[in-house]
Amino acid sequence: MDEKELMARLAGLEEPAVLATIVSAKGSTPRKTGARMLIGREGVLAGTVGGGCGEGEVIAAAQGLFEGGPPATVRVDLTDDFTSWSPAVCGGIMNVFIERANPERFGGG
Amino acid sequence: MRISAAQVAARVLEALEKGERIHTAVVVDAPDRSLIGRRWWLSGRRTRGTLGSPALDEAVAAAVPSLFPPRESRGALSRDFEYSEGGSTVTARVYLELHGPPARMVIVGAGHIAIPLARMGAMLGMRVEVLDDRPEFAAALRFPDAAAVRVIDFRDPFAATPLGPWDHVILVTRGHSFDYECLVRLLRMEAPPGYVGMIGSRRRVRATHEQLAREGFTTADMNRVRAPVGLDLGGQTPAEIAVAVVAEIILFHAGGTGAPLVEKERVVERFFGGATGRRAVAARGGRSADVRGTGTQTNGD
Repeated sequence: MDEKELMARLAGLEEPAVLATIVSAKGSTPRKTGARMLIGREGVLAGTVGGGCGEGEVIAAAQGLFEGGPPATVRVDLTDDFTSWSPAVCGGIMNVFIERANPERFGGG
Repeated sequence: MRISAAQVAARVLEALEKGERIHTAVVVDAPDRSLIGRRWWLSGRRTRGTLGSPALDEAVAAAVPSLFPPRESRGALSRDFEYSEGGSTVTARVYLELHGPPARMVIVGAGHIAIPLARMGAMLGMRVEVLDDRPEFAAALRFPDAAAVRVIDFRDPFAATPLGPWDHVILVTRGHSFDYECLVRLLRMEAPPGYVGMIGSRRRVRATHEQLAREGFTTADMNRVRAPVGLDLGGQTPAEIAVAVVAEIILFHAGGTGAPLVEKERVVERFFGGATGRRAVAARGGRSADVRGTGTQTNGD
């Protein structure tokens, strides 16, 4: 899915979703600043912030926002990820900002 | 007013559709936590939303032109912004994006070099436009990757192709008189294309420049044109020449050195002691000097 398609998906979201964006990255990260991912209650809807490399942490943190948590920056440190079997080359640090993409669809909270 | 990421995305798509540039911003960290997640966009003179403080909105708007050079069409970065709030200075971290129409490659001269050049320009994600005065050359069938192929009159070559700082213009016409007509137009533009290249032998480039000098153009003007265009790769075929040109365009944006990475990084020399490296590694590992074997064997020690 290219950037424009992801943007279209984001603009047309009907279910509540969390948007994760790499807002800064240092070193060898699989995706760069500006990469985006949409996460629903059941998991990833579209996009990626780097696959195996730290993406799980971001998805887990996103769940908190469905429970009323505030927007936050998740710091993903891939420099110790030597045991990863991911084909992506990891070895950097990235800051991923997570926020409710469409607060109006979250109902009450 | 509070706007969401989804609303900003809709506005970005609308801007791209219209070929407009748009900057978006979101607060990702601030002492006042209520600001985090506040968004704002700016397109031309239109703006909507707020980062939660008029002073912060102003500071970010003022920085936008210097953060995103006009020749760039995409950008994403985070910066700390200082602004005053209730008499004291506070700092907020803001993530900004630029979305603009895709960079354009305008190829003037639809001959044999233009064909691989158009394909490679499209591969780089550029909007490719090809111009020539010969309808049999400026034919859409010859350029399946081009967004536009136009038959032009060299007396006013860019009449139907308004150019801007984010454009790349490559002159590969069939003669220096045509190059000259194009260069005169390009050099007189108020906001000339960021990248202007002209193909040609030293003799042909010199002839064009002599004509420009007679017309009153300065050497500073001439230096704005990359002529002969491309990196010195030594290639000869149209495809090889096209690679040299697009390599120079990548260098122009990405700011590399253009040198082979092996010369820049010198991994063998730096980490394995140059020419004696093979022997040194073998001695340390006490094993074979066979290069294929040494790496894994020394790792195991």
